[in-house]
Order: sequence, then structure tokens, then C-alpha cells
Amino acid sequence: MKRAAHVMLGVLGALLACAGCVDTTGNRLVGIRAQASAAPDVGAVAGQPLRFSTPRGFDVTLTTARVYIGALYFSTVAPTTASGAQEAPCVAPGITTGEVRGGQVFDALDPTPQPFPVDGVGSDLPTRSAALWLTAGDVNADDERTVVLQVAGEASRGGFSWPFEGALRIGSNRVTPPRNPALPSSNPICEQRIVSPVAFEATFSEGAVVWLQVDARAFFSAVNFATLEQGSMDPVRYRFRDETATAEQADTSLFNALRATAGPYRFELLPSGT
Amino acid sequence: MSRCRLVLWLVLVAALAARPARAGEVLPPEVLTRAEATVPPGAPPPTQDHVLLEFTVSEQGRAEDLVVLESAGPAWDAAAKEALARWTFKPALHEGVAVAARTRLSFSMPARREVDAGVGAADGGAGGAEAPHPPHASEVFDDALDGGHGEHVMSTVITGRLEPKSRGASDLRIEVGQLKLVPRQTAGDLLKLAPGILLTNEGGDGHPERIFLRGFDAREGQDLELTVDGVPVNDVGNLHGNGYADLNFVIPELVEQLRVIEGPFDPRQGNFAVAGSAAYELGLKQRGLTVKGTYGSFDTQRVVLLWGPPAASTRTFGGVSLQRTAGFGQNRAAQSARAAAGYEGRLSETTSLRVQAIGYAAGFRSAGVLRDDDLRAGRVGFFDSLDPRQGGDATRASLSGDLHYHLGGFTAHQQAALVFRSSRIRENFTGFLTDVQLARQAPHGQRGDLIDRDSEALTLVASGYGRMRGALLSRSQELELGYFARYDVVTAQQQRLLAGPDVNTPYAKDADLSSRLSDVGLYADANLSFTPWLTLRGGLRADLLTFLVNDACAVGDVRRPSAANPPGDQSCLAQRDFGQYREPTERASAFGVAVMPRATLLVGPFKGVTLTGSVGDGVRSVDPQFVTENRETPFASIRAWEGGVVYAAKLLDETLDVSARGVVFGTRVDKDLVFNEQEGRNLIGGSTSRLGGLVQARARGGFFDVQGHGTFVRSQFDDTGLLVPYVPDLVLRLDAALFKALPWRLFDAAVEVRAGVGVTYVGRRALPFGERSDVIFVTDANVEASWRGVTLGLSALNLFDTRYRLSEFNFASDFRTAPPFPTLVPVRHFTAGAPRTVLLTLAFSLGGAP
Repeated sequence: MKRAAHVMLGVLGALLACAGCVDTTGNRLVGIRAQASAAPDVGAVAGQPLRFSTPRGFDVTLTTARVYIGALYFSTVAPTTASGAQEAPCVAPGITTGEVRGGQVFDALDPTPQPFPVDGVGSDLPTRSAALWLTAGDVNADDERTVVLQVAGEASRGGFSWPFEGALRIGSNRVTPPRNPALPSSNPICEQRIVSPVAFEATFSEGAVVWLQVDARAFFSAVNFATLEQGSMDPVRYRFRDETATAEQADTSLFNALRATAGPYRFELLPSGT
Repeated sequence: MSRCRLVLWLVLVAALAARPARAGEVLPPEVLTRAEATVPPGAPPPTQDHVLLEFTVSEQGRAEDLVVLESAGPAWDAAAKEALARWTFKPALHEGVAVAARTRLSFSMPARREVDAGVGAADGGAGGAEAPHPPHASEVFDDALDGGHGEHVMSTVITGRLEPKSRGASDLRIEVGQLKLVPRQTAGDLLKLAPGILLTNEGGDGHPERIFLRGFDAREGQDLELTVDGVPVNDVGNLHGNGYADLNFVIPELVEQLRVIEGPFDPRQGNFAVAGSAAYELGLKQRGLTVKGTYGSFDTQRVVLLWGPPAASTRTFGGVSLQRTAGFGQNRAAQSARAAAGYEGRLSETTSLRVQAIGYAAGFRSAGVLRDDDLRAGRVGFFDSLDPRQGGDATRASLSGDLHYHLGGFTAHQQAALVFRSSRIRENFTGFLTDVQLARQAPHGQRGDLIDRDSEALTLVASGYGRMRGALLSRSQELELGYFARYDVVTAQQQRLLAGPDVNTPYAKDADLSSRLSDVGLYADANLSFTPWLTLRGGLRADLLTFLVNDACAVGDVRRPSAANPPGDQSCLAQRDFGQYREPTERASAFGVAVMPRATLLVGPFKGVTLTGSVGDGVRSVDPQFVTENRETPFASIRAWEGGVVYAAKLLDETLDVSARGVVFGTRVDKDLVFNEQEGRNLIGGSTSRLGGLVQARARGGFFDVQGHGTFVRSQFDDTGLLVPYVPDLVLRLDAALFKALPWRLFDAAVEVRAGVGVTYVGRRALPFGERSDVIFVTDANVEASWRGVTLGLSALNLFDTRYRLSEFNFASDFRTAPPFPTLVPVRHFTAGAPRTVLLTLAFSLGGAP
């Protein structure tokens, strides 16, 4: 009896001791922060115009480039996988590795990191992609009026110049009729507002900082400024049309670039304490 | 003073007393000395010609636990009991060892006073022939700890029912006894008397409790086979979970005994016995009429009516319970009604009959889960609800009956049951997260994740066995062959409801199934005794399960819909790609066979000590939702082992009854269930293993009954070694009861005071993402006093008003409590444990004897 009791106590003791070695279900939740700025390699200087040339041969002096980013979400899904999926939902539940649920207008010509107004949360699951939510409200609402991109400057080519300005919104002005009447939601408005998937390989740790770098030059890579609509005569100003239905090449190019997953946006993970 | 000499017949035992003992047989007790009874002067005439007493003849030859089964009036009953208490017996013998035996004795009234009681008792002849209540069929059973050692505790069961033999140290036959004084709200709460069990409930009163057992998350019974008097409780085909079991139909006061086997070690265990099984037995010891009313916190009201004819067995009873509560916090109101009736009688000297009917109806609201960040930000209160449309209802009606035959070394049993159940449960774990926009649908945002499930099932059950006992190697050996057959007709639907207050509009249908399911099992079980200290029990069980599932919503989407006939928002489509027509239904049939060996070795080399070792396989059938045409139905299989030591003894001149056990166990499941918040239920995950140990002890004396147990277990996934989430690794429980008659009397009647306390400690449970839950430490208490059949009680659940989280989760949800952006990263969720709940109970007992 005593021997059996000793054996039993020994086994139980071993089990209890094992409690110290077990002990996780894997992964963990962490707090993160986020900031945004002009990409360091752009050469932007705060308060000064940014000058650059585009592949289409335009020399651009950009005086204003402000982007409204409402939220950031990070996912385990790699860009190649998500981009190939048909009818991928705007919000895919269950695979989000991080979120920063509050944003503001960021100056894409200022290289100084501008923190997001709220802290984020995440997990240490491997992050493969990121999503930028270009909205201040419901991602599915048609009547959103927030200006998500404001640009101004001057472009020139071959002796012509196009002083330009633009303020883009993503609301009812961006609703695209369905390709197939049997698929009325084949172009949901949320698809227009969410820039995803942007490649981002990272594993979050507690206190880590996500740095969103915006290359404003990429917004204009494909823009043919010659197709801009003249907005005013005195002074002469051209403007980007803020409506899909009447858009010309320049308007469409800028809007597409705003939502491009490669080019304007890069992410970098800074360790805790940065 | 008038004296009357009471005449006795020793009904059952005397007839057998003259026979010589053979191996495996029992010699019943014999009367050694008798005492006459004296009836007080002025006693009214007897109401009948006899008093039938049921009692236990102890190993020391004393009559104990006297119960009046057939009364001739209070004065005559008391006289008979007083006399019998002074009798001495030669105790019953089993293979030469004195054992306790339960039997009956009929005292004749004065009309037969001239008959010599002693003669009638001794030879068992003449008196018996004239007995108004002829001998009952009887048989002998071993108790849970009869293992191979010679210290058997045995009893003669009047109605001939044989209790199954112990399957080792994890076979817990729990006599509720005085631990009924510990406050418990449901019959499910009694499971806490078994080691390692944690009950949680994210669905509110009326929602079945989620059962964690030895490192398993058995949800609402998916991994625990539950029966009530042999009738299955687990639902098959319930979309809330295949194996879903709602024990709320049981009136807690009617639970007489509970047998929990924490593992698949008995061939009688069938489908869903993965973590083990729990078998409730109903009965009512308090005879006569009992009316009980309870009122307390949160406008909780309960009325219970119980009755048991004094002359009948504890299995003949009736009971009705009505209950309602406003519930603590938001959205927790509930109401329920229960009724149960049982009858036990004899068809002949060898055959007994039991019939039972049960009815149940309940409706309840459920608070559901809260987000921890909402609580911290002050957006919700601890007892609030994020979706007040959660709740459900349930009904159950069952009729069952069995015949039990016993003669000599052969026993046969046949049971049949018909059960109807319906349930509807509305739950929302994720808020606004899972409603994916499909291209064919009209544009929509998240419309709400409220799951609305309902299920209706009609079940036919038949089971039976034949058991033969014979002598071999000069020892009693047994072989039992049995079967179990079950046929279920089930309809089940799952819909999603639009969000909004008081909105009851479904916008999508997830499932619409009609199923015909059958389970036929055969088993052979042997009980082989090699020496007085070595016993091997076990055998083989095989189950054939068939599935015929008609899915009325087989096509949920189409990538290239018809432009001329667009499906729009319909959930169940009648077209294929390019708009080609097809019926929206689809049938699938499948079958599967499981063969499950099980064995237990019991070694009892020392007095009072039994060493046990058990191994066994168990299965959980596939959810009909996942049945695929013509593919052999997959099972989730478990292999379990355990080793244990059990100690049982009566100490201090038999005034202290102690038992203790320690067990080390291990299990492996190839397809474990893991909670999925988007489906609101457990889904199949990977394979998992468990290793753990438990200790349990109980001590009972003349004024106390105390039980404590503790279980530690590590559950991990086999491929990664990571912990299985949500299951507790450390569970401690203490149940204690004190009862004592006061030394003074009130108006010439004794006053008895009783108290009970239950303490639960649950360690920090592993949660997804490496987190741990809070500790649960809750104390429940109860005090009551009885006088002349009147009992006044005051109970407090969560006595110290501990604010605790009954369930905790880590998952993603979006309840739009912090708009505008959805919350998609997992966060802590919880369901609130009940605050202190004080209940005052007043009970009246009339016309019966305990």
C-alpha cells in the first residue's frame, strides 16, 4: 500500500513538475504601433517640394501629397495567394495578424515618421501581407466623402507644363457597375477602398513598430498629365477628375496608383523601442 | 399497555439458506436471534396485515438502513423497525466471506400472532408460502471496489438488478448521499463529484453545460456518453455538435446514483464514450409527498413536487419541477418545466419491470460572450450582453421500459425507449465578421453572425444482454453478451439572422439536413476471477453505424450563375455553373464499423486495497454534416490506458467509511475537437494526447460526508506538442456535508440541522495565442434545518461573490463596439460567472419515511 502510494505520488509529482515545461498553445498576442512617412529613398524634405521624373517623361514638382489612411491590417496570406483568389472577400476573417484601427492624413512628402493616432494589436503569427484601408468609415458604405488623396504640383514635358491638383474620394463616385448582372457584387466598393495585399514579411513582437513608407512618386508613374481636365483658366490649373465614370487616362492612372499594391507603399518592421 | 407479538417471515433469504454454497454463489443471511415488537397502547388498528421492511444485513449481522416499504401505520411501522434493529443475523456469505446483503422482511400483523416467527424465518418454508408479498427475484452484485481482493461488499437487490462491475480506479460509482446538501442547480452539476470535471456554460440557464473532463473539451457531451437510466442522452445529428447532450431535463432531486467512467474501459460503453461516460440513475429515497419551494436572488423561483409511494421501491416515483429566473445581468432570463415518473414492479418471482416517462420544456435567454477590451474600456459591464437575441429553447419527451430476468446464474435484460427531442439555440460569438460578400449576392455589409440552429430528433432505442455465471477454477466466472441498437430520425437547420433589436429574420441558411442514422453494437464482456485477489474483466465491442443524409441545401454558391435566372441572395441554389438546373438537394449514405477492445485487471493482494489497470478503445461517430457518399464513415478513435490504486475500508468500529484512489492515465485521440468560434461549436482538429493523474478521497461517518479530488492533466497536440486550448489542466473540488440532530427536541420532535459546502478551484486554462485564463475559485454553501417533515434551507452559490470568468476564449470578433473599423485580431472573450445567488427553500414532506 505504501509502495503504491509512493509510486503514485512520484508520478503525480513528475506531472506537476512537467507543468513548468509546458505551457503554451503557441504564438502570442502583442501590442504594436504604427507610423507613416515619405519613403526615405525618395529624398523628400519636409516643407519642400519633391522633384522627380516619371517613366512617361514628365518632370514633376510635387508640392502636396497627403494620403488618408484609416486603418492597417496585416495577414498571414501571402500576396500571390490572395491576388489569385476569385471573389476574395474584402475582409477575410481568421487570418489577421495585426491591426491598427485608426488613422489620419499623412504627409507623403515628409520623411519624419508620423505616428498613427492609435496603438495596434497583433500576434506573432508570420505576417505575409498588409492592407491599407483608405476610408474613415464603413468600408462598405457608398456615401463616404473623405478625401483619401490630395495632390498638387506641376508637371512639364516638352515645353508644356500642367499645374495640377487633385482630391480623390472613394464613395459613390467610384462605384463600378457589375460586369455580369448575375454577379451584382462582383465589384464591391470595399475593393476600391482596401489596398491589399501589399507584401510585408514580418513577425510582430511586443512593442514593435510598423513603418509605412509612402513613395509619392509612384502615384504618378503612369499618369499622362496631358489628359488632365483643365479646372481653371486664371490661374491655369488642371485637375484630376474624381469620378470613375468620366475619368481619362490621368485620372484613372492616379486612382489606380493610389490603390496599387506594389509601388507607392512599403512596410518595414522596427523593433521595440524604436 | 397492549402487547402484540409480531410474526415474521424472512422472505427471500430463508428459502435459500438451506442450500450449500457453491463457487460464485451467495448464501443469504440467516436469523440468529429475534426480538419482539411492542406497539404502544392506543395505537390505531393496522391499515394492512403486514409491514414490509427493506434493510441491509451487515457483515456483522446487524440490520441497518431500515426502510419501510409497505406500511401498516406509523405506530406499527415504528414497532417493527425497533424490533428488527435488535435482531441478529448470520451475515450473507460470498465464497465463504461475510458480506452485506440487502433484503426484505415482512412482519405479519396480530392476526397471525400465533405463528412462530422464528420457525418461519429459519426454515424459510411455511411462512413464505403465506406471505402476501412473495419472495422477490434477487441477485448479488459487487460494488465498485470489489477488485480481486476478498473484501467484497455485496447486497441483495430486491428487484433483481445487477449493477455492472468495476472497470478500475476510474470507474466511479457515486452515491450522492448526503452530498446532496451541497447546492447544485442542475443534474449536470453532479458530474462535479467525479474527479477532473469542469462545467462551464456560455449559453445561460437552459443551455447544456460544456463539459471538460481529464483534458478533454467534451463540449455539450460530444466526447462523453451520457445516459439516464440506460436511455441515451447524446443527440446524433445535432448541428450544435454531434453528440450534443442536454441533461437539463433531469430533476436534480431525483438523481439517486451516478456512475462515471473516465475512459472507454467497459464494453457496454458505446458511441461518444471518448473521454468516458456518465450514467445517471433516477430514484427517490424520500417516500411520501414532498413539496419544495425556492425563492431567491434575481427573482429566481422554483417549485418542486415529488412523491414516492411508501410501499414501493425508490424506483417508483413521480416528480414535477417548475422554475424561472430573471437571471443575473442582462439577457439571462430562463424558465423550465420538468416532469418525471417511474415505476418498478415485479411480473413474477424472476422478472421485474421498470417503466419511466420524462417530459421537459425550457426557454432561456443567453448573454453570450463579452470582449475583454470592451469591459476594460467601460463599453460594457461584466454581466452585459452584446447580442440580446441569444438564447434558445428545448423540449424532450421520453418513454422507456425494461424487463429484467434473473434466475440462478442467468440474468437477462431488455430495454426499449422512445425519445423525442427538439432544441433551438441562438448564439453569436463573433458579432459581424463571417458574412462574406458573394459576387452573386446583392451588395451588403456584415449582416450579423447570429447562428440560429434547431434540431428535431426521434430516437428508438433497444438494448439488452444475457449474462451467465458459472464456476471454473473453483471461482465464479461470468460472461455477458449484449447488444445496443439505436435509430434516429433527425432534421436540423442552421440559419443566420439579420442583426438588429428584436429582428428574427434569417438572411442565410447554412445547413438543412434530414438524417436517418443507426447504430447497432454488439459486445461480449467476461469477468474472470483467477484467484481471490486477481480478476480480469473485459471484452470486445463492435458498432456498425449507418448514415443516410439528405442535404436540402447542397449547393450554397455557384461561380457562373445564370444571367437569365440569377440566384441573388438565395442560400440553397438550384443551378450549377452557367445556370444549368439541378435540384438543391443531395443525398449521401455511408457506413462505418468500429471494433473496440477493452480490458481491466484488478489485483487485490491486501485487505482494502485494489490495484487496477485498464486499457480500451472508444469512438465518436462522424457528424452527419460531413458524411460523404459511399465513403466509409470515419470515426474519431481514442486509445486510453490507466493505472490506479483504490482503497476502501470501514474504520473505527465501522463508524467511518473511507475510500480513496489515485490514478495515472493517458489517452490519445486521432481526431480531437477544438472550439471554432465562427461555427460556434467544436470542429475536428488534429490528433491529441493526454497524460495526467488524479487523487480522490471520501470519508463518511455518522454526521459527515466529505469528498475531495484533484486532477492534473497535460493535453497536447501530437504534431506540435502545443497545448490543447481551453481545457483545464488542474481541477480541484471539495464537497462536504455535515448533518446532526440537535440534542434537544422541539415539541417532542427532533430537529436536524445540515450544512453543505462545495469548493471548486480550476487552474489557469491554456488559451489560444499562448495566453492563460484566470483562475476559478468558487464556494457554494447551504444550511438547512428539518423538523417534523418541514425543512427550511438557505443556500448561497458563489458565497463570497467572487467575480470570475466561467469561460474564456481568444478569437477574433467584431461586435462594432468601437467603430468604424472591424476588429479582426484575436482578443480575450469571456462569459461571466454568476455572482452570489442566495436562495431560500422551504420543503414539506408528508406521509413517507426516508
